[in-house]
Amino acid sequence: MASASAAVGNRSVALTWFLRVLVVGYLVMIVALPTGLVAQNTFKDGLGGLRTALSDPDVVHSLLLTVRVAVMAVAINLVFGVGMSLLLVRYEFPGKRALSALIDLPLAVSPIVVGLALVLVYNPRYGFFGQPLSDRGIDIVFATPGIVMATCFVALPLIVREIVPVLEEMGDDQEQAARSLGANSRQTFLRVTLPGIRWAIVYGVVLSLARSLGEFGAVKIVAGKSIGDKETATLLVQREYQNFHQDVAYSVSFLLVVAAVLCLVVVAILRPSTSHHATPKVKQ
Amino acid sequence: MSIEVKNLHKRFGDFVALDDVTVSLPTGQLTALLGPSGGGKSTLLRIIAGLDSADEGSVTIEGAEATHLPPQKRNVGFVFQHYAVFKHMTVAKNVAFGLEIRKRPKAEIAERVDELLKLVHLSQFAHRLPSQLSGGQRQRMALARALAVEPSVLLLDEPFGALDAKVRKELRDWLRRLHDEVHVTTVFVTHDQEEALEVADEIVVINEGRVEQVGTPDQLYDSPANPFVMGFLGEVTDLGGVALRPHDIEVSVEPGPDTSVSGTVTRLLRVGFEVRVTVTADDGSQVLVVLTRTHARALDLAEGTRVWLAPARGATTIVAGPGRAEPELTRA
Amino acid sequence: MAATVVTADGPTRKRRSVRPGAMTRGSTLGLGIGMVWFSLLVLIPLGAVVVEASGGGLDTYRSIFTNSQTFNALKLTVGVSLLTTALNMVMGTIIAWVLVRDRFRGKAILDLVIDIPFAMPTIVAGLVLLALYGSQGPLGTEFENTRKAVFLAIAFVTLPFVVRTVQPVLEEMETDVEDAAASLGATRATTFRRIVLPTLVPAIFAGAALSFARGISEYGSLVLLSGNLPNQTEVTSFRVASILEGGNRPAAAALATVMLVVALIAIVALDVTQRRLARRG
Repeated sequence: MASASAAVGNRSVALTWFLRVLVVGYLVMIVALPTGLVAQNTFKDGLGGLRTALSDPDVVHSLLLTVRVAVMAVAINLVFGVGMSLLLVRYEFPGKRALSALIDLPLAVSPIVVGLALVLVYNPRYGFFGQPLSDRGIDIVFATPGIVMATCFVALPLIVREIVPVLEEMGDDQEQAARSLGANSRQTFLRVTLPGIRWAIVYGVVLSLARSLGEFGAVKIVAGKSIGDKETATLLVQREYQNFHQDVAYSVSFLLVVAAVLCLVVVAILRPSTSHHATPKVKQ
Repeated sequence: MSIEVKNLHKRFGDFVALDDVTVSLPTGQLTALLGPSGGGKSTLLRIIAGLDSADEGSVTIEGAEATHLPPQKRNVGFVFQHYAVFKHMTVAKNVAFGLEIRKRPKAEIAERVDELLKLVHLSQFAHRLPSQLSGGQRQRMALARALAVEPSVLLLDEPFGALDAKVRKELRDWLRRLHDEVHVTTVFVTHDQEEALEVADEIVVINEGRVEQVGTPDQLYDSPANPFVMGFLGEVTDLGGVALRPHDIEVSVEPGPDTSVSGTVTRLLRVGFEVRVTVTADDGSQVLVVLTRTHARALDLAEGTRVWLAPARGATTIVAGPGRAEPELTRA
Repeated sequence: MAATVVTADGPTRKRRSVRPGAMTRGSTLGLGIGMVWFSLLVLIPLGAVVVEASGGGLDTYRSIFTNSQTFNALKLTVGVSLLTTALNMVMGTIIAWVLVRDRFRGKAILDLVIDIPFAMPTIVAGLVLLALYGSQGPLGTEFENTRKAVFLAIAFVTLPFVVRTVQPVLEEMETDVEDAAASLGATRATTFRRIVLPTLVPAIFAGAALSFARGISEYGSLVLLSGNLPNQTEVTSFRVASILEGGNRPAAAALATVMLVVALIAIVALDVTQRRLARRG
């Protein structure tokens, strides 16, 4: 009968309440209240602000572009993430540990550095790859593919980080059992491995989606100065805010916040235990 | 009496863990709290240690009122099923912890730790981390840690529950010998009746939050207070409306007195030195009888053999009844 | 006798050990494709940054420290990141503690709120903070274009890291261990200091490494908030962007390299901590 609380005779009610109030207060002041204010500012004039914003073709275009870029980036990261996770957990190869650490690198790299890095290599004028590609009429940087790549870069580790612990926890005995029952690798993967990691994949995809919809810095650099029709929603928020169209900025921000919170809610509901969270954590 | 527990009640939500438990645990003895899982014995132990609080009732340790004392003021040693080692400290540091809390002089601590590690045969592991020890070694370290502060009572919660059968048996013998050496009042919780019978001076049987019986191993085995205690301490079979132990049945291949039950052997199972015989009585009921191999051979038992069964002289019997029947102890 | 006991552990929560297999033809192909993509996307571009920086020789690096505007930006960024990281180490640990050990209504919502800074677009994060702490906000605080704003924005975006690294460790930790300390005579404070904290320290530092790396590299949330005033509120990533806009690619790359090195150190620190945590088991 181990009860959840440690040493009952030893608890201080005052301390418990102090910590509780401190934490709730801090989170309300830093996160909850500011986030709530965006909603309030958006609906200051009822639905009018949102309606005006959505009737602006630039806004609609930027939202559609954002969704398109995010979907493409997530699809690419999904294939890469599932494949890499399987390789990292189930196979042995030289440099594995280094690769495993390097995959986490994008989490720590400044979005500006990401943008700079991609521009250096894929720039149509002097980029090592950009120049030859440009000669063949393919533009990466200052075009949609560059925006997709920048988004891929920043969200790269998220799916891997979700799947790897689950694969490790699962062990490979189910897969061996499937093999012993005559399944080939494809059947084993589709019928045993994939169902085992499907929730991890769902979380990873949802989180990547949230991250991809919201990327700003890297996209800003890669999209270049003459943005034109390459303006994503986050870039539009900046431009509209600085041009004193605060209502439009707030409306688009509100939509982005809703998307982000929705992603988090989906993950929170789907997740069976409380021990996993959206934020990257130490792999145990 | 070292520990006096009076009228303890404890609920976890709707679940009644302890229902008016009163028990006295004698000084210097090794007492087992025995019962099925979820019966409340661990809760009782944790309340004695101050790790849980009772809803009602009182606890006295060595004559001092302890009901509302926090655990750190009770001077009890507690050993957990899953060791509860301090992972970041070496074995020696783990053992020294309680003494450091009590601000004993360094030299004294070192000496005491040395002595205790010797006692639990871990001297050569003093500077290892607990993660480098086996389960049995970790539990011995936990025991040394609890003993270091010279507790007035030592409480062990299923101390061998997480260990495999062989280590468990070794540690069990070792605990008994250790107790004979240090004589600290010891209470341990177990659901293994063999463990309790083998190690304890006294056993408290607890089931569904109530004390079923208190006594020495012999008393409990020979004079169980009720069918639950009888069933929990060993195998029971039903012979003509009487519950008794399968090895307390006399088997005869000749017709016996009228009181004997006649039947046919339907199954024979040889397990090592014993033979387990299933007899289907003429009224259709099945009776389990355990014989030694020699005895079974002498009787020349085989499937289909006609036999007459009667309780052996001095057998412990109880009128069989469903569930918690009132104790009706009879002696054949 | 007992001293000879060297059998395996009991049912401590043990991770099933998976022995990774040798590479097959299919997996080699997969690894090949994966590595090509990873190189094209991450390794080669980041390498190009380092190469570009080295084009200007050591002087470019020296200019980071001699150019007072750049140096001030670096100083501000590192300073604020250290400060917010320190704040996160304390607050993050407390938040994780409350989330794991306390019970009250609405805790699940709190758990969700922690992740908002991670999922929210950074530009929106800036806007959001401006809404509350800006001159038009209800509090009457005028944080925009001040160093307070820089601190606030970085505290916001780095909030989840320590919480989410400490939380699982705290959940794994058995309350038995604290009970054991209590029964050995330790007070609540002593138990926390000598038993709980040492167990959490690797996780706290892992979270701190992530938090610091994120703080150093922050850009989006500061765009609307900091005003980007040279020598006052300009942070390193803005400096990189504006040097790049000015056309001095090697200088921008050199500063970016410095940031990359910091990121790499954070990642290595994280990797080492993970391994230490895993070994202690």
